[in-house]
Amino acid sequence: MQLGYELVREQLFFRKELIERLPWLIRLRWIAAGTGLAGCAAVYFFRHTLPPPPLVMILFVVLLYNLFFRLIWQYVPPFKYQKDLPLADSHLINARDVQSFSNFAHLQISTDLLFLFLAIYYSGGIYSPLSNFFIFHIILTGILLPPASCYFYGVIVFLLMGTLILLQQWALAPIYPVWLQDGLFSNESGQNEIIIRYFTMITVILVTAFLVTTIKLSLRTKGRELLRLSKALDESNSKLTALYEMVKEMGLCSEPKALMDSATRQAARIMGVKACSIKLMDEQKGTLRFASIYGLSEDYTKSKESIDIRKSSINRKIIEGSVFAVGNIEEQDYFQYPEDIRKEGIASMICLPLRVDKMVLGVFCVYSDAVHFFTDSNIQFFALMSDLTALEIEKLNAQLNRNWFLQKSAHQLRSPMHTVISMLKILRNGYLGPMNARQEETIERCNKRIEMLDSLISDLLRLSISRANLSPDALRPVHAQRLLLSLSGLFEAQAREKGVEIAFQIDESLPSVMASERLFDDLFSNLISNAIKYTQPGGRVAVSLTRSEEDKLRFEVTDTGIGIPEEAFPSLFAEFFRAENAKSYTESGTGLGLAIVREILDRLKGTISVRSRIGEGSTVTCHFPLR
Amino acid sequence: MDGVKDILIIDDDKDLVQSVRIILERRNYGVRVAYNGKQGYDKIEAKPPDLIILDVMMATDTEGFDLAYKLKQLPEYRNIPIVMATSFPQAMAEQGPEKFQHILGESWPVSHFIEKPIDPEELLSVIEKILTERDKEQ
Repeated sequence: MQLGYELVREQLFFRKELIERLPWLIRLRWIAAGTGLAGCAAVYFFRHTLPPPPLVMILFVVLLYNLFFRLIWQYVPPFKYQKDLPLADSHLINARDVQSFSNFAHLQISTDLLFLFLAIYYSGGIYSPLSNFFIFHIILTGILLPPASCYFYGVIVFLLMGTLILLQQWALAPIYPVWLQDGLFSNESGQNEIIIRYFTMITVILVTAFLVTTIKLSLRTKGRELLRLSKALDESNSKLTALYEMVKEMGLCSEPKALMDSATRQAARIMGVKACSIKLMDEQKGTLRFASIYGLSEDYTKSKESIDIRKSSINRKIIEGSVFAVGNIEEQDYFQYPEDIRKEGIASMICLPLRVDKMVLGVFCVYSDAVHFFTDSNIQFFALMSDLTALEIEKLNAQLNRNWFLQKSAHQLRSPMHTVISMLKILRNGYLGPMNARQEETIERCNKRIEMLDSLISDLLRLSISRANLSPDALRPVHAQRLLLSLSGLFEAQAREKGVEIAFQIDESLPSVMASERLFDDLFSNLISNAIKYTQPGGRVAVSLTRSEEDKLRFEVTDTGIGIPEEAFPSLFAEFFRAENAKSYTESGTGLGLAIVREILDRLKGTISVRSRIGEGSTVTCHFPLR
Repeated sequence: MDGVKDILIIDDDKDLVQSVRIILERRNYGVRVAYNGKQGYDKIEAKPPDLIILDVMMATDTEGFDLAYKLKQLPEYRNIPIVMATSFPQAMAEQGPEKFQHILGESWPVSHFIEKPIDPEELLSVIEKILTERDKEQ
């Protein structure tokens, strides 16, 4: 089935040449007949001899039927569609139409041959100067039509000319004088010369036919090879594109399960099979468990929930590094539960180890419902896919582990600190008896310093996570305005406590942006809290979230606070930097807030600009691309 | 007085346990302490307390949760309210590796979360509210 289709495709590819040449043939005929008539006129003009009248008439008839062919090309289907079709699309013509094109070529060539023969007859038969023109037809046939047609026309010429000579020799047909015989050619010769001339002509024609068809055949073989190569290239190109898409999709996953589900779904799609699975290995227990399944029923996977590697020789071999490929499940007696496999409709399968270097993570399998579905190149491609999937899994795991380590370290640092804070609270709240004023003040200072240490640890953690690009947040559409609205009460309370007026202007109709709520939360908190913190009581903070003129999400915080000195601008986003006036205004502050903001902006592809005048206030503006 | 309420504190941080003990004893609660999940479970078996204050991360990252789940599965201990004290915010559990994912799929086996550092007033008001509600139910 596929073979037949491929054959037609290949034929269509070669027939393209025929289709391109047909109008060219018509154009060529205008020139040939036109030149013929011009030649007659020139002969008359220079030599004052009239050309044979039938010859002139033939030339006119040629022009006439060429007009007819031109009209067919222009107005009769399927030819008329062809002229509107760009060349690259000629493969769209179907096989039946190709036959029409071929017939049209035969019609033109045979008509030409007939009229050329008549012209030769009326201008001196075998001695006519036109008799060599047969070669052109043979070459044209050789180019346009299959080799057999080329020889067929060669034989027709051989028969036509032979019959003519015989008829003339037997005086059954009149001999016309050779055109231009007085000056250029002569037919003053005997019978032997006629035969020699005849056979020379026929030899030339047949040799030409042979050369043209041989050259054409060898070109066609090369063309066919090229076609096959381009098809293979096409296939591997689309496979690689699919693989790239697969890796890209896996790279966006923030959780191993989602990553593996994406891998199995994509692998089944790209390989064109019914199912795919990933089993992960638990090294301590020596078991394999299904971690992701695509296209297999629950019944099938449930019975193999946990596979003991020691007992399953197939899985053991795969983990040791060999490819397990079964072309026909029925033919091999490998399986513990062949019934299950049959019931699932699996006919062939390949399983490969999922590994990074020498470390095996598990087993990756694809299942087909056709026997002998997997070819060598298929298996190789699947191996590539499996290696890439293993790398992505490992990368994500490493990322999660590092992330986890950072969080764990932060927890370990904060735990004792929280205990200290709890103990200080007991002291301050008088659970251990009353304190004098100096004791109370000292405890208060201890408390303040330790709370600063706590926020420093939180900020450091946040920063190192985003700096190492370890953020587990997958970006998804987020409505920033909803988030800001929900947080606004918190900032209002903060501002009220400090005696600062705060106003929000939020465009509620904004579309979503690709982000994560946590990132926006951090961004809003850092910038708004900063504004409140560095604005004296009685001052104002204005927060706006709108759509900018450049169609971007615009977040702006303006305050009437202490402002930023000019010399601080270059280091504003550096870690641990705090401007001198900020330090003297308040002790609290880690100097990491704006560094975190910058990291968030990098992640969300946003931009930030700061305008400020010392003593008058600051305006921070961020822009984000809308979705 | 319907007897002194018995509260069990389970935390591996002895200083913190001591602080909480001071706070609770000032309000005349009966306080028992345990420094790990196993010890805690033994004390619950010996005598079920009226309320448990439980830490999340002890020897293992999920020791507190594991104990809480175990108790919720046992009918005789299912109704003991648990206040979970942690400097391990919920968001972190959501982001942690797979070992935490199974926890999130189910409902939290806990009556209340209280974030460390513990605020004495907050802790006392939470405990009081839970115990009053429980008394009403009974």
